[in-house]
Amino acid sequence: MIANLIYWITQKKWLIIATTFGFFLYIIPTPQGLSINGYHTLIIVAVALILIIFEPVPLPAVAFFILFMQVIITDATPNEVASSFMSDAVFFIMGSLMLAVAIVKQGLDKRLALGIIRTTGNKTWRIVAGFTAISAILSSFIGEHTVAAMMMPVGLTLIRNTSKDPSKIIKLSSILLFSIAYGATIGSVGTPSGGGRNVIMLEYWSDFGIGNISYLTWMKYAYPMVILQIPLTVLILWWTFTPEKKTIDTGVRKLVIQVAKSGKMNGKQILSIFLFVLVFIGWIFFGEKIGLGFVALIGVFLYLIFGLVEWSDLNRSTNWGVILLFGATISIGLAMKKTGAAEWLAMGALNTLNSFFHNIDYSRAGIAVILTGVLSNILSSSATIAVVGPIVLNLGGDPVLLGFATAIASAFGYFTVVASPACMIIYSSGMVKTKDFLRAGWKMGIMSVFMLFLVSFFWWPFLQ
Amino acid sequence: MVNSNVKFLLAIGSKEYSEPTLIVGSLIAKTFKADLCLVYVGEKPKQIFEGRIKLSRDSLAKWEIYHPGIEVLKWAFKYLQNSGYLETTDGNGFNPENIVEEHNKYRLVLQGSFGRDVDLILREGKIIDELRKECFEQEYTLTIIGGSKKRRMAHDLVQYLPTSIFVVQNLDPSKQYKLLLCVDDSKATKSAVRFGATIAKNQGMFVNTITVSKTTLFGKGYRGAAKASSRYLKSQKIPFEQHFITGDPVKTFLDFAGDDHIIVMGDSKQSPLKKFFFGSKPIKTLEKASCPILVVR
Repeated sequence: MIANLIYWITQKKWLIIATTFGFFLYIIPTPQGLSINGYHTLIIVAVALILIIFEPVPLPAVAFFILFMQVIITDATPNEVASSFMSDAVFFIMGSLMLAVAIVKQGLDKRLALGIIRTTGNKTWRIVAGFTAISAILSSFIGEHTVAAMMMPVGLTLIRNTSKDPSKIIKLSSILLFSIAYGATIGSVGTPSGGGRNVIMLEYWSDFGIGNISYLTWMKYAYPMVILQIPLTVLILWWTFTPEKKTIDTGVRKLVIQVAKSGKMNGKQILSIFLFVLVFIGWIFFGEKIGLGFVALIGVFLYLIFGLVEWSDLNRSTNWGVILLFGATISIGLAMKKTGAAEWLAMGALNTLNSFFHNIDYSRAGIAVILTGVLSNILSSSATIAVVGPIVLNLGGDPVLLGFATAIASAFGYFTVVASPACMIIYSSGMVKTKDFLRAGWKMGIMSVFMLFLVSFFWWPFLQ
Repeated sequence: MVNSNVKFLLAIGSKEYSEPTLIVGSLIAKTFKADLCLVYVGEKPKQIFEGRIKLSRDSLAKWEIYHPGIEVLKWAFKYLQNSGYLETTDGNGFNPENIVEEHNKYRLVLQGSFGRDVDLILREGKIIDELRKECFEQEYTLTIIGGSKKRRMAHDLVQYLPTSIFVVQNLDPSKQYKLLLCVDDSKATKSAVRFGATIAKNQGMFVNTITVSKTTLFGKGYRGAAKASSRYLKSQKIPFEQHFITGDPVKTFLDFAGDDHIIVMGDSKQSPLKKFFFGSKPIKTLEKASCPILVVR
């Protein structure tokens, strides 16, 4: 009995710390310049962040905590909280998770493998460049985890075909897997559909009355980042993991034979691509009017009625806990704006940074890029945007440019496994270590921040 | 002690580090005629990415690329076949596609009969947490696990697992080990003596029994336990030597054991709360030992 209690306490220590910390904040006086509701909203955010990072409880429990605490300790009514919980961004996250299941299920990865190998040949650097470019371009439209899930079998098969002994090709394995993960990550900022975080930022722009940004407008701002980063990513990866083999002839040959056995593209695969093209067209032309989330749901509807995916597959592979969590974090983000908590935090952060930079533009950029980049590596990118978004949009300056900088910086999660789904997917193969993320990640981080400053100073002014 | 209802849990992590654990674990299981459950505990993805990792694993399975843990279980299964622990070498028994999800774990269903019951389990999460869950789902007598450099591992194993624990650290399978039976007045000493004696008898090991007192005076409990252990070893016709030493118990156990003994000791009689804050003899010995150690409950 006592042993079980001790065990429970050790397992739930972060829950105990979070609630104790929350209670302590609750009983101390409200900071100056902040409303009581704003302060209580920030307490909910602080406790939720601890619970999300250390996971002492299941994520849906964190989502419920965020929702009911708003009703209990702030002046929000149940209906207000309920309506802020469901938004187009949440529908988009739900739809894109389901579209990923539908697309991955079609077995298009074998076609993809053949296409890449035919283009790149057997030279390792060309394969790495091909993996990075294809992952980046595809992920900018269909999301990084979909691409990582499709590319992983190709990468791992190539590695296995090259050598039976993994210890002889450690660097080759690393460079191929990182080209998939980092390729998918740098691509995910290219369009709104590249990641849930992009759509969360669109949602905030719209809800905060800043304006509606179309799919194509987003691409004009963000796509140059994708294009510029592809060759630099290849160079960084080559420099970090210079592979043992400069050509992988046997691996490529075996892969081609393996893939060729799957025959020609079948009707379902063609229909699947056609439907995704329709969804893509829908995002471009109807996204602003009916919402990107609803377009994604129409796509899921089409996949279901054409029998390309079963509901049981969608139900099994969709993480409903994540959907609940994003609904709840967006809800608390909106509450931060409404109660003035976001503005209070923004001003506090701005004043603090200003004492270092002595320049308000640098301070804003520092908060948008550095804070977002660091938090993304701890919290995951979408959750970071949900929390940091309202603060950044209250910093003053141009909220559209700051929003873009923040959304793009949220993809700078190269240092840790938990930063992005693509990083977690390659890590789950057991072939890369956490220290590998640091080895390549710091170079990627510096490169990406530098490219973001270049694009924001030399390209974005032309678009305004 | 030896009966067919006994079940041992053997935790394996990788081909690289788990071979000694597997060798000794299967030998001991054979000695006790115990059923064996091999469990691989892998790292659990962050909850926020769980669904997406699952999607990626489904995609990989179509290319016959499985969870890294399945590769390790396959290797362990082959080892049990080749070492003669299993009575058939039919290579078709292990099929990665025959994996069944049950209660937050995966079980590999083996095809055919192998003369012994072997379970292959894959779990994801923190090692102690998952072993503990497994121990509460099935009744195990002994958990066998390799050594770890993690600071709290020894403490957590002894504190939280409900079974006896055998930590196979720094074991050289080619070396001839002796058994060091640590005898004191704890309730578990009797079980430890019997457990150790069964191993020694079956593996032909020499036994040193050691009773350590902090003062030159050996109390009635200590003397009684030492006498009982010597009587039992004699009855089992196991060659042994008995030692009474004055000093710090943990330090003496470790000095005596060196690197050519397997330490066998009973669990402490202290309360869980005391053990948590102040440790216990088994916890401290396990933390500092550089040889294999068996803590019997």
